[in-house]
Amino acid sequence: MLERLTRMNAVLARILLLLGAAGLSAMTVIIGWQVYARYVLNASPSWAEQLSLLLMIWYVLLAAAAGFHEGFHIRIIALQVSASERTARIMRLFAELMVLLCGAMMVIWGIELSNIIANHVIPSLGISRAWAYIPLPISGALIVLFSGTRLIGEMMEPGFTAEDEIDALTKPVGDA
Amino acid sequence: MEVALLLILLVIMLAMGVPVAFALFVASVATLYALDIPLAVSLQRMASGISIFSLMAIPFFIFAGDLMYRSGIAARLVNIADASLGRARGGLGQVNIGASMLFGAVSGSAIANVSAMGSTISPLMEEKGYDRDFAVNVNITAAIVGLLIPPSHNMIIYAAASGTGVSIGDLFLAGVFPGILTGVMLMIVAWFIARKRGYPAGVFPGWRPFFRAVVFATPGLLTAIIIIGGILSGVFTATESSAVAVLYTILVGVLVYRTIGVQKLIESAVSSVRITAMVLLIIGAASSFGYVLAILDVPTDLASLITSLTDNPILILLIINIMLLLLGTFMDMSPLIVITTPIFLPIAVALGVDPVHFGVIMMLNLGIGLVTPPVGSVLFVGAAIGKISVEQTIKTIWPFYLALIVALLLITYIPAISMALPQMMS
Repeated sequence: MLERLTRMNAVLARILLLLGAAGLSAMTVIIGWQVYARYVLNASPSWAEQLSLLLMIWYVLLAAAAGFHEGFHIRIIALQVSASERTARIMRLFAELMVLLCGAMMVIWGIELSNIIANHVIPSLGISRAWAYIPLPISGALIVLFSGTRLIGEMMEPGFTAEDEIDALTKPVGDA
Repeated sequence: MEVALLLILLVIMLAMGVPVAFALFVASVATLYALDIPLAVSLQRMASGISIFSLMAIPFFIFAGDLMYRSGIAARLVNIADASLGRARGGLGQVNIGASMLFGAVSGSAIANVSAMGSTISPLMEEKGYDRDFAVNVNITAAIVGLLIPPSHNMIIYAAASGTGVSIGDLFLAGVFPGILTGVMLMIVAWFIARKRGYPAGVFPGWRPFFRAVVFATPGLLTAIIIIGGILSGVFTATESSAVAVLYTILVGVLVYRTIGVQKLIESAVSSVRITAMVLLIIGAASSFGYVLAILDVPTDLASLITSLTDNPILILLIINIMLLLLGTFMDMSPLIVITTPIFLPIAVALGVDPVHFGVIMMLNLGIGLVTPPVGSVLFVGAAIGKISVEQTIKTIWPFYLALIVALLLITYIPAISMALPQMMS
């Protein structure tokens, strides 16, 4: 059961990242079009920047959720790795619980914010500003699913969410 | 009191292994609760921290950098550096630094820099008998130079965080000489170590191979001209120039070098989305955290604390630098830019420091944090690519740290290094 859920989550995370890749590509084309339109067609599309910002918010939040399945968000595991297995397990459970909690907060306040803002309109696009807030609860729900699975996994099988330093290193880390 | 709650919670969350973005978020939410402020504000701040037009340049710069690495543009830049610097004592160390500077001029990210250069040059260095610790030391500290040499997406985060309309074009120009200075300092250190350890010198291949290398790399180098020329001439905004750089790099990879296919393009986009999502989630959470700090009057309190200690501008800049260096050792660069810019920039401006100059100081200072333990993403990635442990890496790195610190002090106290170029161009 746990294994099936994890496999399903992996597929879901991959889909989210592919959607993200599509979003990034679309954003590139839109901004490229804006430049083309300004210099070749002599008409600057007013919607281009706003639309690509909206796109970015969507795919960043969806891909960020996938990151809690793949574990690509930067965090400090030095203490977890050096602690005794018993302590390390408590730390892993705690960290996963915090992620779950944040996911839940994103769902609740994300819906609240979307409702508050629903009547505002984004001028250049003519759509409700809620469109910029709806990805928050969606991302939150996905985070709850991913971290919930990992939390149950860690409770059932100690070490389920354990990472050694090498694992953490080979993942895409940090920007800068 | 609430400040203590905020900071202690943050440290506990980080220590327990909560991802940095949510560690910042949980600490902010708990503090808002203690202050009796509606909690949804925290999420609203996080959302508005991401919804900034200028931040759209970040995914583009990350995407362009990744494409340049996959299309082999990075490797061709190494060839230029090899043909010109390879004959020095410990030549490959010099090549690594020179190539990092060139790559810094086409890509905006230190992580892209360390991965591209590390995976290209490290195997060569190993083959020629260089020690791994030296290879990694050179590689990671040289990657920091890329933060100063334009384009640099951290400068875009700084411009957004400063809130005073700091010009991205000026910031980019201001980074050029500090970047070259830092690169030269690292080269000097690498040369001394190479001499002490008896590393071999390469041979100068002659002018023909050098010009060949330059010609082959030209399509890649043109990216730098598109981005920087585009922004400075006002033809493009920073966001537009970075998007055009992506399209151009795809074109070069598909048509000129024929190294990029559909599969590689998708993988590149996916991995850029991962890094973008990670960076922007942290920026959002950091905005929320910064908002709570502002409610608690931390920026003004800290400013009056520092100015009550001394009114000597040299000392104040030193204090700010030390505080940033300490914060940089255990926090990543982008959240620190978002959180500390509103705190320190007003102090610096009150001393007469130009916001552009201060931005350059911050880039190098927080960049040093990326290569220092316990938390330094460039250090971690560089060590992983160089196949040695972080402990081994930092055992012999101190001369390079020293070079970076000296460069930081020079750049802090000689404004002309940063400001000469933007002033000349305006």
